[in-house]
Amino acid sequence: MLVLEGVDVYYGNIKALHGLSIKVDEGEIVTLIGSNGAGKTTTLRTISGLMSPRAGRITFQGREIGGERAERIVAQGIAHSPEGRRIFTDLTVRENLDMGAYLIHDKSAAKERLERVYTLFPRLKERASQSGGTLSGGEQQMLAIGRAMMSRPKLLLLDEPSLGIAPILVQEIFREIEQIRREDGTTILLVEQNAHMALKLADRGYVIETGRIVHEDEAGALLDDPKVREAYLG
Amino acid sequence: MTLASFLPLAIELGPQGFWWMNVLFLVAIYSLLGLSLNLINGYARMFSLGHHGFWAMGAYGAAWFTIQFHGHMPGVPLFLMSCVFAMGVAAVGGLLIGLPCLRLRGDYLAIATLGFGEIVRIAIQNSPREALGGSLGLEVPRVIMDVTRKTKADFRVLMVAIGFVLVALTAWAIRNYIRSARGRAMLAVAQDETAAGLLGINPVRSKVLAFVAASAVAGLAGAVYAHYQGIITPLEFNFMEMVKIFLIVVLGGLGSISGCVFAAFLLIFVEQWLAKLPADAGFFKDWWQVEYAAILVLLMIFRPRGIFGPREITDVWRDLKAKWAKKRSAA
Ligand SMILES: Nc1ncnc2c1ncn2[C@@H]1O[C@H](COP(=O)(O)OP(=O)(O)OP(=O)(O)O)[C@@H](O)[C@H]1O
Ligand SMILES: [Mg+2]
Repeated sequence: MLVLEGVDVYYGNIKALHGLSIKVDEGEIVTLIGSNGAGKTTTLRTISGLMSPRAGRITFQGREIGGERAERIVAQGIAHSPEGRRIFTDLTVRENLDMGAYLIHDKSAAKERLERVYTLFPRLKERASQSGGTLSGGEQQMLAIGRAMMSRPKLLLLDEPSLGIAPILVQEIFREIEQIRREDGTTILLVEQNAHMALKLADRGYVIETGRIVHEDEAGALLDDPKVREAYLG
Repeated sequence: MTLASFLPLAIELGPQGFWWMNVLFLVAIYSLLGLSLNLINGYARMFSLGHHGFWAMGAYGAAWFTIQFHGHMPGVPLFLMSCVFAMGVAAVGGLLIGLPCLRLRGDYLAIATLGFGEIVRIAIQNSPREALGGSLGLEVPRVIMDVTRKTKADFRVLMVAIGFVLVALTAWAIRNYIRSARGRAMLAVAQDETAAGLLGINPVRSKVLAFVAASAVAGLAGAVYAHYQGIITPLEFNFMEMVKIFLIVVLGGLGSISGCVFAAFLLIFVEQWLAKLPADAGFFKDWWQVEYAAILVLLMIFRPRGIFGPREITDVWRDLKAKWAKKRSAA
């Protein structure tokens, strides 16, 4: 479904991704794990069009998308819940979700999406008219994921949904991610520093170090791999 | 055909009434300017310092159009078409300056628009006498009605009415826009461009749209102003005017519609009242610009987020009523 081949990405003159190659098949949950500054966020930003690769190819459903602008990529079915959540703090929860359906012009379809997101995250429904900035960190993360789900994506990119959230809420959010894959049939690429939880949820995993993929395997195998255990599962 | 034939008003205004009509007309003009700048600097959170340039473009656009077609067209349609033309001129100006600049970060936009506003004025000042009147200004033919000593009062009342109808229409349009999907997209872009882009919103288009719409409204204010004044000169559209419009937006509260109109009233009233004091009023007269500035500084200290903050006057009223009701039930 999604293939990155030999992708190079730079911040100015600093090379952040070195010939990165990954692929995600339809219906999979794939996780990308790695330590701080490894290039996880950069990878997602490149897929969703916030950055342009200087070399390599990115194809989504057989179509080259590398270098297209973000607004064009989301229209093709890739939604990105970004690092740091980036919800609109001055808009209400409901308005945030409506913005997620910006490209859906059919009112009843948008309403259906809203109902779906409320079913996944009932807390958002309770807080619909509250402004986004007044939500707790965990609720803001739910809102960020919910907002991304509003566009009915085929592929959902999640950047560290567990960051700064109490363990019990993290478990809840990971259950919803599993449910999104199972019930909506959405393919998921999950970036996490919390490697243990991510590998337990995912089908396959990639380990990234300084902009290069250094390991790839079934998630279960990575969990048992002594080198991975030592470096990422402490 | 002139409006005078429809409106046998024959209003009597004393000197006091004349003064008030002038104040109210200016309040309407500055409200239009404030409301439109509020769209850019308040809702869209960009930073433009060139609004006086679009105002001038509208005023000169309307004046030029009226001079060209004066005598070839009945008065009222000519007035209306000159307004539409002025909006078009200012909108094109907004597009030309907006397209390259709105991709840049905030402070670049401020500098570019500031330069633009000054360029417009200087270009008009140095224009050939036969084209835009140069530094001497342009005389705008009276087209909606003859303005004689007898009808001067009618004319002022009529222009005040037109001014406030336009303010109401603009306020209504902005309110509806903010509540529409596109309008909310604009607010989203203002808060987080990247996040908005990830949802399929084109941030540049959203900003350019707000900028062009605001320019068009400033152009409309210019057109009505030109018809009211009867003669316009480039020096009227100087940077002090930009400062005034900016103060109205800040005083009114970024993103408050009624606050903006209220602030325009306050600013224009104080300005006109201080300017009207007799020449021998001593301290008050001699120092009026300082006093004007001092009032603004005080207001900003005590109401830093604007007179009503980002809220509307109706919200403030509701809160006050609730407070009073509570007090009364407690007593
Ligand atoms: N805006 C930027 N300008 C310059 N360099 C950047 C920028 N953003 C990231 N980098 C660099 O690119 C590299 C990859 O960063 P990235 O944010 O992708 O890491 P990450 O794996 O997401 O890390 P974390 O787990 O801390 O979020 C880092 O070396 C980082 O310093
Ligand atoms: Mg990151």
